[in-house]
Amino acid sequence: MQKEAAIREPLILGHKTYHDVTEDVCRPIEDKAPKMWYILFSIALIIGLYGVGSICYLLGTGIGVWGLNKTIGWAWDITNFVWWVGIGHAGTLISAVLLLFRQKWRMAINRSAEAMTIFAVFMAGTFPLIHMGRLWVGYWVLPIPNHFGSLWVNFNSPLLWDVFAISTYLSVSLVFWYIGLIPDFATIRDRAKKPVAKRMYSILSFGWTGRAKHWNRFELVSLVLAGLATPLVFSVHSIVSFDFATSVIPGWHTTIFPPYFVAGAVFSGFAMVQTLLLVMRKAMNLEAYIHTKHVEYMNIVIMVTGSIVGTAYITELFISWYSGVEYEAYAFLNRATGPYWWAYWSMMTCNVISPQLMWIRKLRRSLLFTFFISIVVNIGMWFERYVIIVTSIHRDYIPAAWSMHYPSHIDIAVYIGTIGLFFTFFLLFARYFPVLALNEVKTILKGSGQSYKESPDYHKHH
Amino acid sequence: MEVKKRYWKGLEELKETPSYLQNKDSEFPSETSIEQFLSNDQLSESSTGRRDFLKFLGFSVAAATLAACEAPITKAVPYVNKPENVTPGQATWYASSYYDGSSYASVLVKTREGRPIFIKGNKDFGFTNGSVNPQIIASVLSLYDGDRLNAPRVQGKTASVSEADKAITAALRKATSIAVLTPTVISPSMKKALGEFSAAFGAEESSRVSIVQYDAISYAAIAGANEKNFGKAFIPSYDFSKAKVVVGIAADFLSTWLMANEYAPQYAQLRNPDAEMSKHYQFESILSITGSNADVRVQLKPSEITSLLSNILTSLGGQSSVNSKISPALQKAATAVVGDLKKAIGGSLLVCGTNVLEDQLLTNAINEKLQNYGKSISLVSELNLFRSEDVKANQLFDSIINGKGPDVLINLGANPVYSHPKGAELKKGLKAMKVYVSTASYADESSAVATHHVPDHHLLEGWNDYMPKTSHYAIAQPTIRPLGNTYSALESILVWGGLKARPAKTAESTVAYDYIMENAMASNFVSSKEDFNATVHNSCKEIKSEATPLTFTAVSIEGKNIPTPSGLEVVFYQKTAIRDGSMSSNPWLQELPDPISKVTWDNYITMNPVEMDQQGYNTTYDQEHGLSMATITVDGKTVTLPVYPQPGQALGTVGIALGYGRGASGEAIGKGAYQTKEYGGYDLDSNGKKKGIGQNVFGLLPVVDGRRLFSAGAKMAKVEGLYSIAATQIHHTVMGRDSIVRETTRSIYPVGEGEARKNKNQYNPAHTLQRLNEHGHHEEAPVSEFDLWNAHPVENVGHRWGMTIDLSTCIGCGSCLVACQAENNVPVVGKDEVRRGREMHWLRIDRYYASDQESQVGKKKDEHSFNYTLAEKASVNPTVVHMPLMCHHCNHAPCETVCPVAATTHSNEGLNQMTYNRCIGTRYCANNCPYKVRRFNWFNYPSYKKFTEVNPAQDDLGRMVLNPDVTVRTRGVMEKCSFCVQRIQSVKLDAKKSAQPVKDGDLKTACSEVCPTNAIIVGDWNDEKSEIRKSSKSARSYQALEEVGVKPNIWYKVKVRNQG
Repeated sequence: MQKEAAIREPLILGHKTYHDVTEDVCRPIEDKAPKMWYILFSIALIIGLYGVGSICYLLGTGIGVWGLNKTIGWAWDITNFVWWVGIGHAGTLISAVLLLFRQKWRMAINRSAEAMTIFAVFMAGTFPLIHMGRLWVGYWVLPIPNHFGSLWVNFNSPLLWDVFAISTYLSVSLVFWYIGLIPDFATIRDRAKKPVAKRMYSILSFGWTGRAKHWNRFELVSLVLAGLATPLVFSVHSIVSFDFATSVIPGWHTTIFPPYFVAGAVFSGFAMVQTLLLVMRKAMNLEAYIHTKHVEYMNIVIMVTGSIVGTAYITELFISWYSGVEYEAYAFLNRATGPYWWAYWSMMTCNVISPQLMWIRKLRRSLLFTFFISIVVNIGMWFERYVIIVTSIHRDYIPAAWSMHYPSHIDIAVYIGTIGLFFTFFLLFARYFPVLALNEVKTILKGSGQSYKESPDYHKHH
Repeated sequence: MEVKKRYWKGLEELKETPSYLQNKDSEFPSETSIEQFLSNDQLSESSTGRRDFLKFLGFSVAAATLAACEAPITKAVPYVNKPENVTPGQATWYASSYYDGSSYASVLVKTREGRPIFIKGNKDFGFTNGSVNPQIIASVLSLYDGDRLNAPRVQGKTASVSEADKAITAALRKATSIAVLTPTVISPSMKKALGEFSAAFGAEESSRVSIVQYDAISYAAIAGANEKNFGKAFIPSYDFSKAKVVVGIAADFLSTWLMANEYAPQYAQLRNPDAEMSKHYQFESILSITGSNADVRVQLKPSEITSLLSNILTSLGGQSSVNSKISPALQKAATAVVGDLKKAIGGSLLVCGTNVLEDQLLTNAINEKLQNYGKSISLVSELNLFRSEDVKANQLFDSIINGKGPDVLINLGANPVYSHPKGAELKKGLKAMKVYVSTASYADESSAVATHHVPDHHLLEGWNDYMPKTSHYAIAQPTIRPLGNTYSALESILVWGGLKARPAKTAESTVAYDYIMENAMASNFVSSKEDFNATVHNSCKEIKSEATPLTFTAVSIEGKNIPTPSGLEVVFYQKTAIRDGSMSSNPWLQELPDPISKVTWDNYITMNPVEMDQQGYNTTYDQEHGLSMATITVDGKTVTLPVYPQPGQALGTVGIALGYGRGASGEAIGKGAYQTKEYGGYDLDSNGKKKGIGQNVFGLLPVVDGRRLFSAGAKMAKVEGLYSIAATQIHHTVMGRDSIVRETTRSIYPVGEGEARKNKNQYNPAHTLQRLNEHGHHEEAPVSEFDLWNAHPVENVGHRWGMTIDLSTCIGCGSCLVACQAENNVPVVGKDEVRRGREMHWLRIDRYYASDQESQVGKKKDEHSFNYTLAEKASVNPTVVHMPLMCHHCNHAPCETVCPVAATTHSNEGLNQMTYNRCIGTRYCANNCPYKVRRFNWFNYPSYKKFTEVNPAQDDLGRMVLNPDVTVRTRGVMEKCSFCVQRIQSVKLDAKKSAQPVKDGDLKTACSEVCPTNAIIVGDWNDEKSEIRKSSKSARSYQALEEVGVKPNIWYKVKVRNQG
């Protein structure tokens, strides 16, 4: 067992025993759901269904129900897509990259972060589907043998790369998340008293018995999947950025995009994790496991990625001028001073200025402030995508074709609807799944638990 | 001993139980017999008997089977016998002539399987030289308008023609006074018929018949001035190709003034910068198409025109007693004009568009001074169009209004209720008439109240003859059998005059044809039947005119007697698409963006944005932000309209387009004539009536000496509220970008070759990039030499279709746009969708104004102090460049690489092809198109309810106009210009059949075919001798956005303005 320096803050507060951990995680699942859960779930479900209804209307009537036009072929649809994919980055980063870097603090958050990732990728995946003019033939993007003759997909198209990138990412994330859940499901199964629940968790836990052999395989698979998932963290958003980077549109055609998009994705993903966990730890009494130190760690990630993003913004701006290309220079001038200046400056304020406040230790450790910033960051990141997509194409090469984009109420309904669906899924997850990787957390209880760190025995070993 | 196997049915048999033994011999082991069963009382109590049950069962099965068998009935009737001249899949072209009261042209009509689907100019015959205008091209759609009357009506009820004829003839016999109201008649047969008709009701002077010609737009002052100067009221033929200096004063002679479609190609002959160029000055208040093409455009108020003309005349040494004092700015321009005119004696032309007699007298005097008569103005060939008899018409209308009108009025299609200033009163008068006969095609404003209505054919359905000029005889032949029970107006007049009998089989009537032929022979227009047939084949012929040239007599020109307004002046102008409003129900025309304002489906008040800013009107607008509203009051009559910021509008003036607000009382005048709601359906007012589009301002026209004037003093007041406007272009300057449009001046691009044009860097600079040469030094190389990809092997392999567009000769008329719409089944989407920026036009004409930051459109005054914010604003009087833009068929097409399903691909002939069937609608291609020419099917235009009222493809009749060679696109797919690939295929097939290579000039796209100035050239670029190849190699040729590296197959040619 790995031991930590005593001066490091413990990762688990209070005098928790192994049994306490099990109790803390399983109790919400076994108890009746609080009233608040039903209220939140109903609200999320209603919003989600409103979104689903709007999508049905969209599919039945045509893309024209959105606010797009001849100049602006993508706006909220792809903005939302990139935004959700970005959010879906934190989970895998936390569970895979941090696992490889042996960051133990990830154990408290990785389960819900991964769940968030999967739900976010679901939401993200919705948009490329519904934004198609003819969804019913959308399967043509898959390179499947067909009866159309020699018709094949166009492997040059970044949209096709997207299809592969997103679907790979989703499947690996899903498997990774599920593998981690197996021992925890087994624990719940062992404790379950109701036959239906016992049966369900028994199926879900795949016959896990907790033998050493199982643990051994578990660790191995986790490591292999982490190895697989790590490049995906970087590839997915790089490929999403290719949608823009490989185009000829000033403001899109930018080589800086892949790293900039990945940093932005991690940035927004961590912000979303913060938003969710700060509420969840309170609602589910998990303050001992997810506490200020975790929040601080995540805030540092937000600060670092935020700085990368900020640097990218400024680099872009500089290069647009330095390139001497008329269109490029104007695209950025127009972002900052054109009709969408408010979107640009919202983005700059939210994404460049706000994370810099995290240099101040007091703010970085303030839960309330963190919650506020986490929301600000996600607003900023939505605007970033909107700025990149809309302000670039609304005024590109031919001034006579310049236009403006105004969202229709269906644009808004579909977006809000995906947020509703996302929370519907997340609330179901919080109710029926172990929100903490309880068996993993147990492995650090003796190494990083407060009670152990404070015990006289702990110091003897050093 | 024999052993026999024994089989038994059951244990009962084996054991031989008593019950088995008892029943063993009965066939059915039933305890109750059938008789017993059927005689059961309970069974007969049930209401359905067995037989009934079987009947029901049988019926239901049969019914269900029959219902399931029924297939939807599609009426596709194959030809049993192949009709003459119709080969399915092959177009048949008819030469014909077009005249609708405001335009005339020799045309070719394309029919497919008996349906006319496309109209273009006839380049081989006729003085219009193949030039048409948007209205002529779009008229083919009006043929299929469901609101066109398809049967005679008596007292508003459908009736048979014999019934109507009987009533009309009876009424005519009784009548003591008969009036025939007609738009200008240019048909010699109709003239003759009307003469005979009059004679039938009394000898010459004592005839009870009076014939009055009335047009919505009056040119009475030109005829009036000529009457004074030449002793004959006529409108001359102008020849702009003989005018090296052209001065237009408030005359939009390239678009709406007189025979604009005849003048445009003449004008263009002298606008080729590679040869001698004419110099064009334009003085005007509104920014017209003509003004946008002028070398020097000067703004002036309508009230300054007379003084300006007088000033020019006196400077040329003429006599005028009219005040010649003009503002210093005008004086400067006038001096320049006079200087140039003096240098071009006998080779210039000054035209004036006002309907003021004194202005026209001054114009005549100036042209006489310049010795233009007999040269650019013909005194032999008179124009027979536009001969509205305003004074006579006013008398007739007053008489009708006062209830003293003729006993019988026959209206041959004039619409004075709509277009006369006293229209509203006239309507009441017409309503009170006992016998009012109309032959109009629609129950329009004037004809809805007709007591007897015998509708005329559409001009593509019947025989007609025309004499547009004194020396020109033309025939219009039917291209389709009449769609409804309509009757040639010529025939009707003959029938009602008792001169001919209505044939029994009316649809096969030859009355009009026979009469026209007889008249042609009798009048010596043709020498024989063969000659007549040849004329029908060619559509027209020149005839000898015995007229002797008239001589000019100077008259003294006194001050005019119209009041000079002191304040704001309003100009009433015609828009290219709608003109006098007679075709305002045509959705193609309503959706044709105005060539200057780019606004569709509306009229509005044009005002200079500088003045609008001063007076607090909103000058920025887009899809969600409308325009401020204002009222314009002229002589107590008021209209409320949105105020459109129009750069170039003369300060102190506003303009309003005529021709709008038709069908204001809900008359059925056609599909596209009314406002529609956001989710489809007509927008009805509180009385449940349909609302017309825009406002009718004919009522505001002042009448002086019986002549309607097209400008007036006005008061303007702001009205609260904003009005949504549907414009296809909401950004108006090119932001100093020099690789989109290129404009230069004559001093930079002089006449001559070689040495004179060495300074290509100044007028057509090449885009270069730096590279290292073999010595390791930097050198500049043209961008075309840099390539990241392997080029598509299109150069010098097979065909490579290309196009050049000369910005110098493109006048921005919009004909190409309508032709493209007709050829390619481009849907009409209606005002609300255009407002949202979703018009579907494959070809658009971008119009750029110069800003104060630019010396010319696209040329920054100063690279370093260039201010982008200021560059967004057009100058007060900007120069204008029109740029037709369609798919550029890039050889390195950015759209092709990004499509995930390869729905858009490159052909080995250089075409960028769109495969609708494969498209899944990601719109990535449209985003990645630098030219933004791709159009997405946001809805199912052929069936979605929003478009029922606007899209012709949504009704059975309107669908007949669709080109069967082009797919109608479904929702969710991308579309764009295909270079008329159906025509390319057809040209190639024809060449293949004749075992010859495709000849240069065989291929004409719809846009190039109808261009009045031949600004668009298409062809095979790989053919080294082709016109396109030569044109693309011109010193003026450049490719738009060349530096993006997409290698388009379209070249533009630099616009040269003849300025010092």
